Amino acid sequence: MNERAKSILTLAILGLMTGTASADVIKVGVIGTMSGPYALFGANYKMGIDAWVAEHGNKVGSHEIEFIYRDEEGPNPAKSKALAQELIVKDKVQYLAGIYFTPNAMAIAPLLEESKTPLVVLNAATSSIVEKSPYIVRTSFTMWQNTVPAANIAFKNGARKVAIAVSDYGPGIDAEAAFKKTFEADGGAVVEAIRIPLNTTDFSPIMQRIKSSGADTIFTFLPAGPPALGFIKAYVDNGLKADGVKLMSTGDVVTEIDLPGIGDSAIGMLSTYHYALSHNSPENKAFLASIVKNGGKIEDVAMTGVAAYDGARVIYKMIEATDGQRDPEKAIATVKGMKWISPRGPVSIDPETRHIRQNVYLRTVTKVDGKLINKEGDTVFLDQPDWALSKQ
Amino acid sequence: MTDIAIDHVPGKRSIPFVQEGLGALTIIALGAVGCFLFPDDLALLTRLIGISFLVLSLDLVTGYCGIATLGHAAQFGVAAYAVGIACVRGVTDPVALLAIGIVAGTLMGLISGALIARFRGLPQLVLSIAVGQLVAALANKLQWLTGGSDGLSGILPGKVFGIYSFDMYSRTAFLFSLATLVVVFVALSRFVRSPFGLLCRGIKDDDLRAKMIGVAVYPRLVIMYGVAGAVAGVGGALTAISTGVVGLDSVGFERSAEVLVMLVLGGAGHLWGALAGALIFQIFEHIVSAANPFHWMTLVGLLLILIVVFAPRGLIEPVLMLVRRRAGKGRPS
Repeated sequence: MNERAKSILTLAILGLMTGTASADVIKVGVIGTMSGPYALFGANYKMGIDAWVAEHGNKVGSHEIEFIYRDEEGPNPAKSKALAQELIVKDKVQYLAGIYFTPNAMAIAPLLEESKTPLVVLNAATSSIVEKSPYIVRTSFTMWQNTVPAANIAFKNGARKVAIAVSDYGPGIDAEAAFKKTFEADGGAVVEAIRIPLNTTDFSPIMQRIKSSGADTIFTFLPAGPPALGFIKAYVDNGLKADGVKLMSTGDVVTEIDLPGIGDSAIGMLSTYHYALSHNSPENKAFLASIVKNGGKIEDVAMTGVAAYDGARVIYKMIEATDGQRDPEKAIATVKGMKWISPRGPVSIDPETRHIRQNVYLRTVTKVDGKLINKEGDTVFLDQPDWALSKQ
Repeated sequence: MTDIAIDHVPGKRSIPFVQEGLGALTIIALGAVGCFLFPDDLALLTRLIGISFLVLSLDLVTGYCGIATLGHAAQFGVAAYAVGIACVRGVTDPVALLAIGIVAGTLMGLISGALIARFRGLPQLVLSIAVGQLVAALANKLQWLTGGSDGLSGILPGKVFGIYSFDMYSRTAFLFSLATLVVVFVALSRFVRSPFGLLCRGIKDDDLRAKMIGVAVYPRLVIMYGVAGAVAGVGGALTAISTGVVGLDSVGFERSAEVLVMLVLGGAGHLWGALAGALIFQIFEHIVSAANPFHWMTLVGLLLILIVVFAPRGLIEPVLMLVRRRAGKGRPS
């Protein structure tokens, strides 16, 4: 393309931009896992955003906001990239949000600068994602963020010899690295580190190895669902629970959605996480109430719902600051350092990393009125950054 | 199936390259339609062409040689990873990357062929799954090389021929993929009607008889697997180049199963069937998943059931029957 054509195109784009500023439907593309095994988490994006819109209206100033949903299906970067391109080029969205899987976020990142589209990541939890583009903000969590407090509290509560057992894939390996580094820096010893293949169903041999290693605490990360269920069952059946070996994990293993499936054997299990459904705050009560009012079920609420609710807040703020113009620099600059009270507690966007800073809570699986919940105790790690990105 | 072979007796080919030329023109016409009617959907069309290569490749082994496989994504994925790794390490010329993909795909094809073609029937199917799973497990395990489940990112290919850079609208990626598809398709339609290709059909129809007339079955199947690997490698390379990220999905079981569905849908044993299946399945999937991102899979399932009930040998079969009936009037068969 020669210079002249370029300048004409730029003029045309400018003309279009000023044209749309008052014509005024601002579109936000939401890419999430709407079908398949992870459908519940994608549905949570919609629940969270709907709750936000129900509370704050579908307008920012004079601009009407429209959310367009697309199905990311599974870890499939080629598909996600095509979806994002289509949303940007064809549907002319001004903002993108969502993304459950890390590789999908990685595939979209290079598009953002060229198209001047900010992306608010609502789940994908690998630390480095926010480094892939200056237009990425994340309102979910990272493995490091939730795991470092787990290691600290384990040591503080008297654990000295820990066995780490994680699923052998990205987040599991992240969790292992974060726990090992922190726990050893505290002065503890990691006596066994096991990477469990993803399709493992028989966890007894792993429990035997842990038993013979003489560990006093197990730290684990497994994808929620059948693996977590099998692991906890093997932990009880092999007598480790009876022997007083403690079991710890991040909250991903004992989500409220899976607790009924895991059953009573989970009682007493410790986990660190940024959001518990039972979090006791007026903001959380209001959030859950508006989910129910919009036809959602409390049993279905997951961490992605809260991330989407907060993500919608961030997007509204960006639209407000730019008055509906496509100005990603300004939009991102506005939300850097933004602080608010989320249903999960006080949070802020770290101006350095554009990742969310939040409290991480130590919770115990407890039975209350016949229902298993993650009960938050007094131990709260305030204002946690993403430990893999921040140097503090 | 035998009647199809008769269609291809060399004597009937009065004007050389007519069929290939028509095929190339049809693909170019289709591409032009896509390019001009849907200029905003080029990203989708590019992705679609990438997968089409894998379906074509599967057609070569399943449709033409009768090898049942559920691990065909291995060739595609290995090539995609090879291209990705090469690109991250500094080879950025798209044509060179394509060549790397072809080499990697061919090697992987020869390896899997050497294993899988040894058996027939169920053991073969199981072995194909095992090979696929092995590759998938390796891709996950070798995290330092492949990025594991986070995917291999940072693939930034340079300009095609040093002129056309890859842009957000996927124009370059689309045209590059389309041009490659035309070349590969012409080469393949020539290849499947070569004596070697016809022999493979013979092996598929009756491998015992083929052995009896002195055909060395096993080496031929392995070679066919190598060719299929090269074609799958082209797809993997193009997908890696246009996406910029290679994930575990590219070697996954779902990918293998999905392309088998596309092939069956279009009609195994015909290159056009493979291409039609890939296009129709993916476009349908795209439309329904955009219309209803929450429940679209039900509709895709319904489509598959309908097609299997009403066109059990693939969508291409009724079309071919029409063509054959017309041609059949002219000559006794």
